[in-house]
Amino acid sequence: MQSAVRMTGIVKRFPGVVANDGVDLDVRPGEVHALLGENGAGKSTLSNILTGLYRPDEGKVEVNGQVVNFASPKDALHAGIGMVHQHFRLVETFTVAENVVLGEDDAPFLMNQQAVATRVKEISDRYGLAVDPSARIWQLSVGEQQRVEIIKTLYRGARILILDEPTAVLTPNEADVLFATLRAMVAEGRTVIFISHKLDEVMKVSDRVTVLRGGRTVGTVDTANTSTRELASLMVGRSVEFSRVTRVNRADNSTTVLELTDVTANDDRGRVAVQSVSLTVGRGEIVGVAGVAGNGQRELAEVIAGMRGCSSGTISVAGRTVQSGRARVAIDSGVAHIPEDRLHTGLASSHSVEDNMALKNYRSREMSPFRMLRRKAIREQATGLVDRYDVKTPNTSTPVRLLSGGNVQKVLLAREFSAMPKVLVAASPTRGLDVGAIETVRDRLVEAAEGGVGILLISEDLDEIMSLADRILVIYEGRIVDDLSAVGADRQRIGLTMGGVAQETVR
Amino acid sequence: MNTNLLVVIAASAVFYGTPLFFAALGGVITERSGVLNLGVEGTMLIGAVTGAWASQHVGGSAWFTVLISILMGMAAGALTSLLHAFLCITLRTNQTVAGLAITIAAGGVGLSSYFANIWEVAANPVNRPIRKLDVFGLADAPVLGPIVFNQTILTYVSWVMVAVASWYLFRTKIGLQLRAVGESPQTADAMGINVVKYRYLHTVLGGSLAGLGGVFYSLAIVPLWVDGMTKGAGWIAIALVIFGFWRPGLTLVGAYLFGALQSLGTALKARNVNISGDVLDALPFVMTIVVLVLISSRFAHRRLGAPASLGVPYEREER
Amino acid sequence: MRSPVRLERRLEQPRWLNWSIPVISLVTALVLGAIVLWITGKNPLEVYDRILERGFLGKRPIQGTLITATPFAFTGLCAAVAFRMGVINIGGEGQFYVGAIGAAWVGIAMTGQPVGVAVVGMVVMGMLFGAAYGSIVGVLKARFNTNEIITSLMLNYIAGILLNYLIFNSRSYWRDPRSMGFPSGKPITERNEWTDYVVGGVKIPLGFLIAVIAAGAIWVLYKRTRFGFEVGVIADSPRAARYAGIRTRSTIVLVMALSGALAGLGGASDVGDFRHILDAKGLQLGGFGYTGIVVAALARFNPFSTLLVAFLLGGLTNAGYALQGPDFPSGLVGTLQGLILFTAVAGEILVRYRIRANRRRTQAVAS
Repeated sequence: MQSAVRMTGIVKRFPGVVANDGVDLDVRPGEVHALLGENGAGKSTLSNILTGLYRPDEGKVEVNGQVVNFASPKDALHAGIGMVHQHFRLVETFTVAENVVLGEDDAPFLMNQQAVATRVKEISDRYGLAVDPSARIWQLSVGEQQRVEIIKTLYRGARILILDEPTAVLTPNEADVLFATLRAMVAEGRTVIFISHKLDEVMKVSDRVTVLRGGRTVGTVDTANTSTRELASLMVGRSVEFSRVTRVNRADNSTTVLELTDVTANDDRGRVAVQSVSLTVGRGEIVGVAGVAGNGQRELAEVIAGMRGCSSGTISVAGRTVQSGRARVAIDSGVAHIPEDRLHTGLASSHSVEDNMALKNYRSREMSPFRMLRRKAIREQATGLVDRYDVKTPNTSTPVRLLSGGNVQKVLLAREFSAMPKVLVAASPTRGLDVGAIETVRDRLVEAAEGGVGILLISEDLDEIMSLADRILVIYEGRIVDDLSAVGADRQRIGLTMGGVAQETVR
Repeated sequence: MNTNLLVVIAASAVFYGTPLFFAALGGVITERSGVLNLGVEGTMLIGAVTGAWASQHVGGSAWFTVLISILMGMAAGALTSLLHAFLCITLRTNQTVAGLAITIAAGGVGLSSYFANIWEVAANPVNRPIRKLDVFGLADAPVLGPIVFNQTILTYVSWVMVAVASWYLFRTKIGLQLRAVGESPQTADAMGINVVKYRYLHTVLGGSLAGLGGVFYSLAIVPLWVDGMTKGAGWIAIALVIFGFWRPGLTLVGAYLFGALQSLGTALKARNVNISGDVLDALPFVMTIVVLVLISSRFAHRRLGAPASLGVPYEREER
Repeated sequence: MRSPVRLERRLEQPRWLNWSIPVISLVTALVLGAIVLWITGKNPLEVYDRILERGFLGKRPIQGTLITATPFAFTGLCAAVAFRMGVINIGGEGQFYVGAIGAAWVGIAMTGQPVGVAVVGMVVMGMLFGAAYGSIVGVLKARFNTNEIITSLMLNYIAGILLNYLIFNSRSYWRDPRSMGFPSGKPITERNEWTDYVVGGVKIPLGFLIAVIAAGAIWVLYKRTRFGFEVGVIADSPRAARYAGIRTRSTIVLVMALSGALAGLGGASDVGDFRHILDAKGLQLGGFGYTGIVVAALARFNPFSTLLVAFLLGGLTNAGYALQGPDFPSGLVGTLQGLILFTAVAGEILVRYRIRANRRRTQAVAS
């Protein structure tokens, strides 16, 4: 049987990373094919190649048996491939009908809104994608907006549909409706590629699953013949013997340095991102938060650091309640924060190393007596920190954006650690760094913990968490769904809970 | 107040509001594509001086001269905003500063005055002014006569333009794509629409309308050339775009309203009712600020607000 | 259809660009101006020569230039202070007027006090009025997120109408009761008129000296205080500012107040140094606020360069006044100012981006 889509030996390189390292994908017509993997496994890159956004460096792509060479997304569209992205391409102030017909080459000059609305209704009814053609996008829920995206592709006659993490923004009910829609589409011969990291959904909706890990295909299985456990192992790899970092001066759990009680917070779009989270971090303890990106980690870090207010719940640092949403209060209470986005959140990238070293303590009497900056003190602080933390920079006046990734992180670490914090929230601290830098960062984290700092380590790298943390929390859709000691932790169990499989069913 | 005064004011409102409308409509079209053009005042003056020059140097029948003058004024406006488009779209200059540069360079003490001087436009009165017409012979009819039937041809053109512009923006495919470019150039780009092309085209189109507004000043209102004769009409037009919520129909209403306020102000001052005169003068500007504050709130922003990408240069992300 | 060149963000910004770009911009503007002159039948070299002579060469021209440059210096500083934080304040014009109103009030009211007190009073009142007017824009932006470009523009017009009201349309405190037929402003008490200072044989208006001090103060403020540090971080990255606990909203209002205060100071100088009355007509014809934006742009928002550029443009304007007549094309001054703004802005692009040729991308092998 001829494949709907066949990708063979796909290689795609970006500066510093090989996103796809010889990936094979074979999708049969009329099936729902899931593409499963963690962050960085290469799923997005692969789908971008299939939709014409990227060109592969090596490898072959065939659609319906024909070798294709997409130069742009339009080519992919003409080949009948449509994609529903994670970030919608919709004009908020337009109606559904207007968004559907936007950019349509064949649309008549004089718009016939009626005809469009009728056709939209047709598609909508046929596939169970209930949406009002005359509604404006900003009035719709996220689930409804996603339906508009799907209708867009169907309106243009797409036969092969790719959905990128579609349930990331849906409620469980909406997700079920989506699955029904996908089934309906497949029943009449269309093909669906479903990209996800959620194991139970993949089990629920797909016919076959291809698992990617580290830029390679690690296996393709029939859904009927596999289990979440097997998929989890494929996704995160077999339990490997890795050395746990030995530490002296272990955690003193009788003193809590950070406590969150029932904290709920919204993301930038107003949706709930952190849901009733309660956690504690003890003095000198490293608590790892594992989870696939996009499950509320960023918002959780921001809430603790005071950059984001919480709509309910309390935060207390070293036993004292801290007002939410006030970064200055958090800083003064002893909360240090290494954000995911180093260069644009944690640092003022066009400013010098010394200015950035003083970014949080420039208000102190030492750095700016009588509100006048003491340049000498700032420079001396920076010079000292550069030495101690081995930051490679021509001098302290160099703008930080000129430094290499590892050194940028060192600047951040230097500043945050030297402030003698009680709590440190580190979000993806080793992402994108080279091996040497990664080791340095990890050493520093351990060092800080040994000195009594309570660390909340939020990371997508499960290996990292397992080797550094004392306790592991798993975050999924804004909730803490698992809490286990790192010693002897079952990697597969973590993989499952990361993928949303509830604890009780994990046996 | 007696009816006569009201009628006079209404007729004046339509008359003086017409150039405001043209310039503002040009602004609406340009801003719908996401480009902010603060050079309207300067563009109007360039259009005015070009139209005046043409009127003095183009021979032929009265109608022919008028037509050519209008077209040349529009062309001059188009060229001026082509420069603005280049600076803002291709060079990604700060749009505010670019617009200001044009107004300063072309404005009352700039190029328009310079050209007027060189071409000796101010020396002679305009040969073929645009006169008010007597439509269907009803110019003297009670109430409606002076207001509706005794205006210049350009006023009648402006009424047609409201319909055409509204239809263009809201009922055609190109209008939809234009609005998409202004609301979300990333989305438009992703859907295969050429953002750069749309922005250039509509900035130039907007400029030609500003030029048309300028021509009205030099050929209909005064009619001769005086340095800086638009007296800030260009700035009022910018306010009008906001006041009209970026919709042609409301812009026309707003233009007449502003025109009425101006006439009312003058009329009252002539009767020595001084406070009201100045308050009325200030009213358009105060109202614009109020409208601006209202539409910036989250609630109103989506329904009534400016095109979301207004003033922001578009940079496509590298693949 | 690909364009033959593309703009690529620069990674590093070499120091020498900071001063060379404005110089190149100025030269380019002059060249463009020369082209305009040439194609309209004038001799550019001759025109420029006369400008140079009447604006800069000799004691009297320099004194005249300093007079013209003083308001530009204030409005230039006003624009520069705001732009440094990315706030586009084009309300310098209105803030200037309002400052003049405040200063004239003090100047007229104070009749018996020692001169120094009156002058200080005028300066302070001018700054206060200007600051208040400027902070309206700041509050609207910080609180309601309204676009500061439009609000400051509208406020300019409202301020102009206020001037007209005070002088032409009412019997206000500022109006000279003796000027029935031709309304004009009431003169300030004679002893309150600001004196010139003679430095090296050249008369310098007090206002200009104040502007120099102000420029120094601003430099210190932005480079050496906590406030300046915060302004810098906000301009660099609002997110980083939030991260560091900087109160962005109040900083916006403060910057706008400072900006307005500077323009207001200019208004005070206009009354105290030069006109000695609240000159509604003269103020509105001057267009000082808008010229200030040109000055700030070319000076790349550096306070000291602002003074220098204000001086240059002052010379240009001064020469323009002096040379007015059938021989000298009117409108040339405005045109050159506009051209300078253009080239300054285009030059700014070169600082941030470099121009790269767009080579054809090689096709990736697909099998």
